[in-house]
Amino acid sequence: MNRRHFVAAMAGVMALAGAARAQEPVQLGSIEILSGPNAAYGVAIKAGLELALDEVNAKGVLGGRKINLIVEDSAANKDQAINAARKLIGRDKVVAIIGPTLSNEMFAVGPVANERKIPILGTSTTANGITAMGDYVFRTSLPESDVIPVTLKKAMDRGVKTIALMYANDDAFSKSGYDVMKSAAEKAGLKIVDIESFGSKDSDFSAQLTKIKQLKPDAVGISALVEPVSGVLLAARQLGFGPETLFIGGNGSNSPKLGEIAGKAADGLLVGSPWFVGKPTAVNTKFVADFQKKYSKEPDQFAAQAYDAMKIMAAAIDRAGAAEPAMVRDALMQTKFEGVMGPFSFTTGRDPASAEGVVVLVMQNGKFGIAP
Amino acid sequence: MTIPPWLDDFLWTYGNLVHALGVNGLLALSMYVVLAVGQLSLGQAAFMGLGAYSSVLMTQQLGLPFWAVLPLSVLAPVVFALVIGLPTLRLSGVYLAIATIGLGEVLRAVYLNVDLFGGALGLSGIPERADNTMIYGLLLAAILALWLVGRSGIGRAMEAMREDETAAAVMGVNLLRYKMGALVASAALAGLAGCLNAHVSSFIGPGEYGFEPAVTILSYALLGGIGTPIASVVGAFILTLLPELLRELSDLRLVLNGVIIVVAVLFLPGGVLPFRLRRRAA
Repeated sequence: MNRRHFVAAMAGVMALAGAARAQEPVQLGSIEILSGPNAAYGVAIKAGLELALDEVNAKGVLGGRKINLIVEDSAANKDQAINAARKLIGRDKVVAIIGPTLSNEMFAVGPVANERKIPILGTSTTANGITAMGDYVFRTSLPESDVIPVTLKKAMDRGVKTIALMYANDDAFSKSGYDVMKSAAEKAGLKIVDIESFGSKDSDFSAQLTKIKQLKPDAVGISALVEPVSGVLLAARQLGFGPETLFIGGNGSNSPKLGEIAGKAADGLLVGSPWFVGKPTAVNTKFVADFQKKYSKEPDQFAAQAYDAMKIMAAAIDRAGAAEPAMVRDALMQTKFEGVMGPFSFTTGRDPASAEGVVVLVMQNGKFGIAP
Repeated sequence: MTIPPWLDDFLWTYGNLVHALGVNGLLALSMYVVLAVGQLSLGQAAFMGLGAYSSVLMTQQLGLPFWAVLPLSVLAPVVFALVIGLPTLRLSGVYLAIATIGLGEVLRAVYLNVDLFGGALGLSGIPERADNTMIYGLLLAAILALWLVGRSGIGRAMEAMREDETAAAVMGVNLLRYKMGALVASAALAGLAGCLNAHVSSFIGPGEYGFEPAVTILSYALLGGIGTPIASVVGAFILTLLPELLRELSDLRLVLNGVIIVVAVLFLPGGVLPFRLRRRAA
């Protein structure tokens, strides 16, 4: 081989290597709860992410590069969530992270990602103060403070003037939902006649409900996960609460399980939701149909939020022009997206900008429908 | 000396794990101290919580520097141990275990219901003040101290109590004093561990100090063995490393984790290091 051939061959090899690098997948991390009692949330989120990933990778980002999604289990444990984040950032060199599942985990993981300037995008973290942790912490989940006022407004349109509040005081999600419910009720000018708390695993709510019944409020607001909410509703019907008392749920009540557990006892309950399976937009009907085809079950709110988040992230990576965390962060800030949840963009505080997508649902015969 | 970037990344990736190893080592020692006198107390997680919450409040509310916070973090758990020690140490065996679990649950309810402790939302935004030097310095100091105590006459009395309380009492061992001493030492170690853990992980919540962590801490000592302080620390290291070493297996991770523990308990009933402290004949 003479020298000219050698140089040409080397150039060819280098060009190939260059092309291969351009085709290298973009590393994207995710931390979700895939084992333990809260695994249902993480598994739904993972399903939503992967469904969106299929669509994204069909076209690719940054001129045809695929996204390689690495999903790590946190087992709802703070330390494991931090370890997962450090592994994703330090070893897998991810360009951004989606997750983790719970607000408590985000409080532990957010500072880690922020320190390394890796954008982190929560899809299900609704507590106050999440995005205040740093410039690299984003979320697509509407905080309860955006959803509950919409629900309360609907209740007031129905003539509600006084309200009693009940909440589970032993989990972060229920407690922060209650804080929001209380301040939103005060702001809306509702009279709070009573506040009662209980434990998430309680099965007897008669003491709290008897007290509330004597005070005859127009409505009862409940912030708790779906199991205790179902228990409260069943107990309330036994104690003689009729349709004259309007029950209002926080985001925890927004689960098809409510109808399965409480049945007719849940009828009439109002709940605000960032998403609804029967939302009649074209993107949403396609999403629900695709989801059913891939997993042969109906998607829930968590899958829907994750589906949008993956598309928002992929679009941001594409817009950034390179798989560089800082550029992806800046591109995320420019997000203008129309997803299954409705129109989406970020505020300067990296929270969802609009609550337009919120729908108020009402329970009827064990199923949610859009409230008239 | 400059650290090459790949090593820096490696250390950063496993930084939290390295912290956790040291902190869990301290917790294992806290368990070892009570088991060494034959007491089955499950209050270690509760003591850890007291240390964590009190130290975070000192850092966040009072703005104390960490060199003051760290030693003060033993205060709340030690006082608590002294108060509950007298009534509970009259119990023994499984009754003591149940009573100490109860105490942990009471404290959890307090964290949930008192606004100062942040309720279910816990306390977040804790500055990173602790580092590996502190964690491993304390761990080594604790192992050394316990080793020396174990080899002394006190250690002999402790071992006698563990084997047969009545016989030990007849031989003139002041049971209550030793039990109380062990409980206080255990509370102090757990308190330090809580303080260090809180100041490397930026968030603490009431769920981290309940029944489950109490059992995890017990399993450190059981897996490692309680013949020597170092054995329980080895147990903590194994149980902390396993889930991360098995991370590649994703779905099978927890299954294999459980299998390894079961096999270890079945075939190594005295722990991974079943040796006893050597002592010169009196």
